[in-house]
Amino acid sequence: MVSERIFSVMSAVFGVDRSKLGEGAAPGTVEQWDSLRHMNLVLALEEEFGVRFAEDQIEQLMSFPLIELSLRELIQSGK
Amino acid sequence: MRELKYSEILARNRELGASLPGAAYRVALLSNVVMSQLGEVLEFSLRRQGIKAEVTLGEYDNIVQDSERFKEFDALVVFWEAANLVEGLHVAADTLSDQEISALAERVEGEVSLVLENLKHVPLVLFNRFSSLVFSADELHNGPLAGLCDRLNITLDKQVSASQIIVGLDKILAKVGLDAATNFRQFQSAKALYSINFLKAYVSHVEPAFLAATGRGRKVLVLDCDNTLWGGILGEDGESQIQMGDATWQGHVFREVQCLLRGLKQRGVLLALCSKNNPEDVDGVLSCHPDMVLRDANFVAKKVNWCDKATNIRQLAQDLNLGLDSFVFLDDSAFELGLVEKELPQVRCFKVPDTLSEYPSLIRSMGREFFTSSMTAEDAAKTDMYRQEWARRDASVRFASVEDYLRSLGLKIHIAWGAAVSVQRAAQMTQKTNQFNLTTRRYTESDIRRMLADNYSIATFAASDRYGDYGVTGLAIIRFGAEKMVASIDSLLMSCRVLGRNLERVFFDHLVNKLRAMGIGRLHAEYFRTAKNDQVSGFYDTMGLRLVSESADRRDYLLQPLVDYQPCGIDYIEVSEDGV
Repeated sequence: MVSERIFSVMSAVFGVDRSKLGEGAAPGTVEQWDSLRHMNLVLALEEEFGVRFAEDQIEQLMSFPLIELSLRELIQSGK
Repeated sequence: MRELKYSEILARNRELGASLPGAAYRVALLSNVVMSQLGEVLEFSLRRQGIKAEVTLGEYDNIVQDSERFKEFDALVVFWEAANLVEGLHVAADTLSDQEISALAERVEGEVSLVLENLKHVPLVLFNRFSSLVFSADELHNGPLAGLCDRLNITLDKQVSASQIIVGLDKILAKVGLDAATNFRQFQSAKALYSINFLKAYVSHVEPAFLAATGRGRKVLVLDCDNTLWGGILGEDGESQIQMGDATWQGHVFREVQCLLRGLKQRGVLLALCSKNNPEDVDGVLSCHPDMVLRDANFVAKKVNWCDKATNIRQLAQDLNLGLDSFVFLDDSAFELGLVEKELPQVRCFKVPDTLSEYPSLIRSMGREFFTSSMTAEDAAKTDMYRQEWARRDASVRFASVEDYLRSLGLKIHIAWGAAVSVQRAAQMTQKTNQFNLTTRRYTESDIRRMLADNYSIATFAASDRYGDYGVTGLAIIRFGAEKMVASIDSLLMSCRVLGRNLERVFFDHLVNKLRAMGIGRLHAEYFRTAKNDQVSGFYDTMGLRLVSESADRRDYLLQPLVDYQPCGIDYIEVSEDGV
């Protein structure tokens, strides 16, 4: 399940319990989600899903729903 | 570690951090580029080896200041990126004049000297060789950035000390590939030049240095014979048909492998044989076969019999008085390796590759298991010393009592005090000795030098008997108190090679004697329990010191006054002294 895998990666990168992450996960709601960890999150997601985000996409990945949307697009287009 | 994903490394790192016992092994990471991921990967790699590492990141681009701040740490990694010596140097370098480059070089050389000087007491320092490869790989002529790096590296080579290791970044870049090693998207947005793949490879590359610094370097390589040292099976093909010469390409590979193995022996690695063969057949090859590179004298022990290899390796560990975690085992048979892996999980196992041409590369990478940061004369002669030990053990069965036997050995110790002490050997002993070690304090050469110049007294002893020389195998460090006439034993240790001969008792007698002559009236001593030194928990009791306090991990002793001390009365060990 794509969403579960995203949460699992977030949990590892931010060091927060899976139970504390939900649809509303964003830098505003997750204290540990700072700019440094955002970079780590991008790398970890790329590794987990075997994709590569376009440069201008990375700044857009600022909440769980946006991340999920971008990933589904990338996976579907087979990148 | 290559197979693990970054998110898995992060998760597992946290679990290990919570579960490892003991005090933290503090590592500081200083850099002028963003290196946060390296900290986590390094922690994970050390923690899964049982080292409770905690990595602290220095302030971004504050290497000089931080070298002052972190100099009490256990280990330091300095990741000084040439491309960022000044902002955007990787593109600006080509526009600078020779003068400007030279001025920059001088400034950085000064900073490098200061950093190395600040860090000289840190037990382990990893300092990257300056590299421009990421930006200069397409150049035919060395551009200014590459030239700058060359110049800085010359400074580095000249000033680095034994506990400071210069890491060849280019080697790691070559292994990973420049494309896979860099992430320019990250570099542009966040000054993080290197990919996670590179960082994983970097950590794998430097890991042996940490293992050696924490006493975990391995010491013995156990080798099979058939299809490991030569092509073919001796018992079936016969001496004339086994391959290790230039007649066939397979033979050539085995010959190369034997040459590499002999090189390892030269570096201080102990080689042992463990083979299912008739001993006479193997001895025949070792002594007479013209193509054999390794000879009988190169092996510290041989277990050539029809017993299972796990039993044989266990016996080797006992014979050599070393833990199983000091052993590496190389065999061509998945069956033999499987058995040893199952029965003796502390032994590291390697298999001869199916693609024979890759075999020499495997030996080269295996060499990293045995990394030591310094080479002394003792290292080169180690095999001989262990072989001499064999000769002694053979003789021991003929004697009625242990004392009888010890008396017949003609034991001698030579004690060196102060200026007569070999600083390099003294430091090495504090780092490598785990069993007969009362306080397990680890020191570098600069620590020893500092103590010699300060309010300390240091003595080492070298031992020998009629079978040969053991080399320098014992050490005592005495700290003098602020009060006159008070001293305490900071360190007392002895190599496991010379256990069971009462050398330590005679050494201790002479220590107490000397302190008494200096006017010391009160001597303190401590025992700190570790996983490996249980055998000396009662040593000071045996020597007649009074136990003043005791807890689960520690015992404190007192000897007062020193005239009350009763020497052990052992008359069969001859003592000479130097530097008194």
